[in-house]
Amino acid sequence: MLAHTFFFYFFSGIAILSSLMVTLSRNTVYSVFFLILVFVSISILFIMIGAEFLGMIMLIVYVGAVAVLFLFVVMMLNVTEIVNKKNLKKKIINYRSVASLVGLIILLEMLIVVSGWKYKETFSVFSSININSEISNTHAIGNVLYTDYILLFQISGMILLVAMIGAITLTFKKKENVKRQKYFEQINREKDSSISLVEVESDKGVKLND
Amino acid sequence: MNIALYILPELFLFFSISLLLMIGIFYKGKFKPIKFLTITSLFFTLALVANQPNEVIKIFSENYIIDNLSIVMKILTLLFCILVLFSSNEYIKINNIDKVEYFVITLSSVLGMLIMISSYDLILFYLGLELQSLCLYILASFKRNNERSTEAGLKYFILSALATGLLLYGCSLIYGFTGSTNFEIISNNLNDKNFGAIFGIVFIIIGLAFKISAAPFHMWTPDVYEGSPTSVTSFFAIVPKVAALTVFIRFMYVPFINVVEHWQTIVVFLSIASMILGAVAAIGQNNIKRLMAYSSIGHMGYALAGVATGTIEGIQSSIIYLIIYLVMNLGAFACIFMMRIENNYYENINDLSGLSKNQPLLSVSFLVIFFSLAGIPPLAGFFAKFYIFMSVIKVEMYALAIIGLLTTVISAFYYLRIIKIIYFDKAKKPFDQIYDWGLRASLIISTISILLYFIYPSILIDIIASIQIY
Repeated sequence: MLAHTFFFYFFSGIAILSSLMVTLSRNTVYSVFFLILVFVSISILFIMIGAEFLGMIMLIVYVGAVAVLFLFVVMMLNVTEIVNKKNLKKKIINYRSVASLVGLIILLEMLIVVSGWKYKETFSVFSSININSEISNTHAIGNVLYTDYILLFQISGMILLVAMIGAITLTFKKKENVKRQKYFEQINREKDSSISLVEVESDKGVKLND
Repeated sequence: MNIALYILPELFLFFSISLLLMIGIFYKGKFKPIKFLTITSLFFTLALVANQPNEVIKIFSENYIIDNLSIVMKILTLLFCILVLFSSNEYIKINNIDKVEYFVITLSSVLGMLIMISSYDLILFYLGLELQSLCLYILASFKRNNERSTEAGLKYFILSALATGLLLYGCSLIYGFTGSTNFEIISNNLNDKNFGAIFGIVFIIIGLAFKISAAPFHMWTPDVYEGSPTSVTSFFAIVPKVAALTVFIRFMYVPFINVVEHWQTIVVFLSIASMILGAVAAIGQNNIKRLMAYSSIGHMGYALAGVATGTIEGIQSSIIYLIIYLVMNLGAFACIFMMRIENNYYENINDLSGLSKNQPLLSVSFLVIFFSLAGIPPLAGFFAKFYIFMSVIKVEMYALAIIGLLTTVISAFYYLRIIKIIYFDKAKKPFDQIYDWGLRASLIISTISILLYFIYPSILIDIIASIQIY
């Protein structure tokens, strides 16, 4: 139990510190690396409370895909450290008053909501999902994903398909004047079709087709 | 097996999308019959929907509902999608966007709308919405060499993503505070004291208002309508509105019915704001597509006034309003597709100047459609507004009715201005005579049904009267 507590505080400390560093660090590439650290420590926290599926998904999707995508974007944008130092501070000061006002209003609203709503003991009774503690999370998700939620699963597939079609239609360009390999034509070339013997008269030269 | 029978229309549409996609992959270059195949598959889907049993059925662990409302709305979606494709047929040919993907994406967005209409669950609703709007982003920027079209697509994508974020936040709050994503269970667990869930309702209404372009969440509409290719604009103005309004009605009347007094004020505000904005902001517009955008914001305001009443008559009048709005917009966009000189499409209102001297018949259609949009009796647009105001007055929301009447008068100005330009201004270079039968058919259908609606209004009222909300 002690080890568990120790690890919990250790990883949540890392998560909080590195999420602070995401916003505070001047170099955007470092920010993305800190973001990855946040994701990793949160996924470890998930695994510690027994949600191993969620933790692993977090690791695969956020660290493996999203963060790497961010890294690509940041590196492509080529934001240098010097530009950041000069302009970033000015920009933040410009928006600080409005941003803090909006943030304060939302915080107050949330406080009103939370304080107005008593935490009910019957809360879990509402839920129509029965939790079976004997099987693992992954097993339980698999049980419902392909039975009760089959329609949702299929529609998600359809959305991904549409996203793919859209990305291709909006970016794919057919290039003109590109020499491509035509394997069959190249292999099937015969001597007759590729070589022609020409009688060359003196002082005239040869006129070539193409 | 039974379940497969009940979602047969969606399954059929899904398989035809896959088939068209395969054709697109293996067929190099343009594939002419694709339009015919698309319209045929929509038509068969329509037949399958119309053939569904006339009872309330909930499938997929009560997450997918088939009832009168969903059947009527699905039929409307499919029918108007077919008509829009017919009327924009020549536009997409001339503008070189009649690729296989255009039709595949249109069909996928229709599939998303069907799912939205039938959804009885927050997750399913969200997935349907996402499928539909993802297709719409792509369609908006489909003319990718055109700067305005890409700008429209990007703007729509970013603003819509923001609205979807708010919507999802609302969904998660509601799930957290009521314990389920199913509409019926949410309705049972929702009461006045459940503040967190009411907080979530606000976010959901914001997201939905964005989708039906109600003010003050309308800012994307004019730019997107103006920037997208006209065929896509006419699709935007007509087809997704059905699904969005259905979802709005279903949200307000199934899961949130127990907290009517909480959402009613918000919907009344949305309605008044959209009516005023639609009337005032359209006055200064010179581009006819932009004008139609503001006009659609205003009309959505009237449709929301019916929803805001909180009664079944209110919903029925809203649905009648929606149907008449769709018919009028179909006609208006058919007129816009007629504004062409030698393969160039014109969009300015001043280009219409003196149209009556060159094309008297087209001018009469313009006259009928814009008079109807302004709500002048005895045209269909008048009856649509009449039903709405009747239901609003019945529940004694006099302020809403008075503001609605005032904005009707203001908005009549800019509709009549177009009529004035057509009939009393100097003639300009005449537009081409267009013989495309699909375009002509949709213009004739909409003009005649607007003109003759007053003879037999009960045909629409009888269908709508059977609608109940479950």
